[in-house]
Amino acid sequence: MRRRPLYWAVHYCLLSLYVLFALFPLYWLLKVALTPNELLYSEGIRLWPSRASLEHFRFVLTHSDFPLFFRNSLIVSTSTAVLATLVSSACGYGLSRFTFRGKSALVALMLITQMFPLVMLVAPMFRLLTPLGLTNSLTGLVIVYTAFNAPFATFLMQSFFDAIPRELEEAAMIDGATRFGAFRRIILPLTLPGIAATSGFVFTAAWSELLFALMLNSSARASTFPVGLLSFVSKFSVDFGQMMAAGVLALIPACLFFLLIQRYLVRGLTAGAVKG
Amino acid sequence: MGADPHQGETEPEVTALGRRLASGAEPYLYTAPVLLLIVAIMLVPLGVGLSYAFRDLQLLDPFAGAFIGLDHFRELIADDIFRDALRNTAVWTCASVSLQFVLGLGLALLLNREFPGRRLVQALVFLPWAVPTFLVGLDWQWLFNPVVGPLPHWLFALHITHDANNLLSDPNLALIGPIVAAVWWGIPFFAITCLAALQSIPKDLYEAAAIDGAGLLEQFRSITLPLLAPTIAISILLRTIWVANFADLIIVMTNGGPADATQTVASYIFTVAFRRLDFGYASAVATALLLLLFVYAIAILLLRRAFLRRQA
Amino acid sequence: MRAHIWLATAALSACLGSAAHADTTLKLVEVITSPERTETLRAIIKTFEDANPDTNVEIVSLPWGQSFEKFATMVAAGDTPDVVEMPDTWLALYANNNALENLEPYLKSWEHTGELNQRTLQLGRVIHNTAYMLPYGFYLRALYYNRKMFADAGVTAPPKTLDEFLAVSKKVSALPGKYGYCLRGGAGGVNGWLMFGALTTGDDVFFRPDGTSTFTDAGWIRGFNVLADLYKAGLAPKDSINWGYNDVVSGFYSGVCSMIDNDPDALIAIASRMKPDEYGVAPWMKGVGGKSFPTIGYGGWAMFANSKHKDLAWKLIATLDSPAGSLAWNRRIGALPIYTAAAKDPMYADPRYKGWFEELADPNVSPMIMPMDLRAWALFASSIVPRTTQNLLLGKLTAQDMAQQWAQILTKAKQSQK
Repeated sequence: MRRRPLYWAVHYCLLSLYVLFALFPLYWLLKVALTPNELLYSEGIRLWPSRASLEHFRFVLTHSDFPLFFRNSLIVSTSTAVLATLVSSACGYGLSRFTFRGKSALVALMLITQMFPLVMLVAPMFRLLTPLGLTNSLTGLVIVYTAFNAPFATFLMQSFFDAIPRELEEAAMIDGATRFGAFRRIILPLTLPGIAATSGFVFTAAWSELLFALMLNSSARASTFPVGLLSFVSKFSVDFGQMMAAGVLALIPACLFFLLIQRYLVRGLTAGAVKG
Repeated sequence: MGADPHQGETEPEVTALGRRLASGAEPYLYTAPVLLLIVAIMLVPLGVGLSYAFRDLQLLDPFAGAFIGLDHFRELIADDIFRDALRNTAVWTCASVSLQFVLGLGLALLLNREFPGRRLVQALVFLPWAVPTFLVGLDWQWLFNPVVGPLPHWLFALHITHDANNLLSDPNLALIGPIVAAVWWGIPFFAITCLAALQSIPKDLYEAAAIDGAGLLEQFRSITLPLLAPTIAISILLRTIWVANFADLIIVMTNGGPADATQTVASYIFTVAFRRLDFGYASAVATALLLLLFVYAIAILLLRRAFLRRQA
Repeated sequence: MRAHIWLATAALSACLGSAAHADTTLKLVEVITSPERTETLRAIIKTFEDANPDTNVEIVSLPWGQSFEKFATMVAAGDTPDVVEMPDTWLALYANNNALENLEPYLKSWEHTGELNQRTLQLGRVIHNTAYMLPYGFYLRALYYNRKMFADAGVTAPPKTLDEFLAVSKKVSALPGKYGYCLRGGAGGVNGWLMFGALTTGDDVFFRPDGTSTFTDAGWIRGFNVLADLYKAGLAPKDSINWGYNDVVSGFYSGVCSMIDNDPDALIAIASRMKPDEYGVAPWMKGVGGKSFPTIGYGGWAMFANSKHKDLAWKLIATLDSPAGSLAWNRRIGALPIYTAAAKDPMYADPRYKGWFEELADPNVSPMIMPMDLRAWALFASSIVPRTTQNLLLGKLTAQDMAQQWAQILTKAKQSQK
């Protein structure tokens, strides 16, 4: 449908405002990360430092434990993404295909778990996980994150499955396949965009989680990068330059991942809405 | 289901029964892992956490822990800070969610048309969601600080504020800071869900309406909004719950200050639990919040169902 | 496929969780963490490990901003270390809950106990007159001032009395965009308020013999009003109502405000960002009766009562607080020494420390110890003080009412803790 040029002018104008709004704080992060310490306060409000320097990045990469934290975050987030996608696919499939007793109770339960302030769960959870040896460990974090992300991931996967007609696996089952076999060999491959979207979403959520990473783990070898960022806040100074440099470094995987999967999120949710 | 004669296999009686049992248990098998995780990792601590509300629990006092019934709740009703926190929570949640929603919907509408560079623009505009929330808080705190950030000076130059001071230290304006940060971070969520919902509306509806002479605004009002409403309701519901429970931004940017001007119920829980180390009282506050959110959720769901029923 | 993942994560956690191969492992938690401190700590601990070959020390470093709640959560769940870095403000909480080991028996037989200065033992014994911790250094407040800003404002010398201080603040605040005093209106500001209160009162007595708080006396209220009026008159940055440690220090070295009251450890941050001729350190001002009351704080090492290796843990503390160890540590953290002989160390001969040693030598200067032995102090200082003082600065509360509220809380705390 053709539209008047005025429409497009307004359209692009508004869009550029949005893009500007979204990118400016990120740009500022980068700018602070590139400003050498002496100029941090004296040139605070310039749009670009008079002398850009990579000293913060160098420090973060060579003198701090940041590479270790980064590695830990990578391990935890990837494991969580994989595990959460697996269990949520199963659960989402179950919710999509079956009606069974307790279904609405399960859905209500998942909704309720989103309501409780996480702060209150920290102490009981610490007490619960310590005897199991799951504190101060990356495994413990993976399990906790999977549990917290499962409800929303299930909701996502369910809408992806809703978009695929039941007839597909029912045809396969008539041919003698088990439901699980049909699920594995036929349905899952069709929902690859959905899987990508869910994994990406969970990865991003696990990547940035702070509270539990801080409270459940105390040793450096089990800390993730958000906790690492806090270590730049010492009693003597807040090393903003270094903190922002670490932040920029840490953002790269999250942003990359998100850039790749965000359109699958849209596509998948659309598909679900069509049938649902 | 009998065996297909072409398979050349017949199922003995036992496996047929087994199969029927299995198919009855099937849904539970699929949903079991998630259920198990939720119960073990969330419900058990949640239950324990709720029980704290009825006990006198000081984190560092191993001899505390006596059951005190409703004492905490009585204290809660008389607590001025809690009352102010409730008010702040209402302002914080309403403002954040409605702004995120309106702006997110606007963005989704803009992205709903094909245009050159759309993929790139879409990817860029969704980036804020990928940033960890405490980094968002630090970044915006830095932006609002007149010593190192440009915003106070720009606002002053545009005559929006009458001095170039830090918004975050003015008790009347301080809440604006976290709200802006939350909106920046949260627009992508609404944009993504609204965009998905928009793209599921069949284009021919619009074409038919256009042929009938309906303008853009009319199309929006009569086609887009009603079809979008169920998705909107759920998104708003989820988002409100998350935002109401969200203490990170406030704690990082203002720590509830100045003078508790930005203290919301969620950040108050954090303060009571981790500064006063009084987990009993913190639990009571959390329980109150949980109840309020629960009531709110039910209200929204009922509204949604009524709306859908009226539509049908 | 799922099984493989579980195996992988299990294997991964096993690798990550592998214990040290030495016979005994001691756990030490540091709470005032910074990369430089951790490095120095590791070096001192290495000398301990070399002297005790079968022992390994695991250092757990908590980020300072969250260390209070993090450590409390760990202890509450039973995850306790052998040795912990104990800030003065935390001591009452842990010692009064019988979590810490009594160090007196060890001190009795230690070779270096006699060399410690009198203040060390006095402050280590604030709880029940028993040494539940051994201090590693002292933090004494003094007045840092910006020479350059003073010169621009026509001020020739740092203020020696409260009146001079107010006059200087006014002069510097007259400069566009500059302020006289870096007020700490947010976290940790209690020291400042008490110091000004003591100046206008002429003494630092917090409680009467019957346990009631003296804050309602006119002297204290006058002091609180001094600070409040200073803020309202614009002699401190408007933003400073929210300022914590980092903000006041960065406000000072970025040239926003010209005077700051702080401990020698701030010297580290300031010295790395300002040239030596741009700033100076003077003794804290004198007030009524020609007396001055800068607050004194300290950090130290404590042992947990449930440690399974008490003798070894003591050896670790002894190494950390040995003359050599404590000097190396103080050199890094900038605190004043615990040994009488250490005052002669070349480190302290540096002109920048002159201000503090002048204070220590002056009979009219009385380092003020805050009532940190009260269990309620931690909450009072971290929550109640910022809230009430912010209300005072905003004009929502009068100094009278604030003093009343403080007195009520502290009297109750004092009297219930007999």
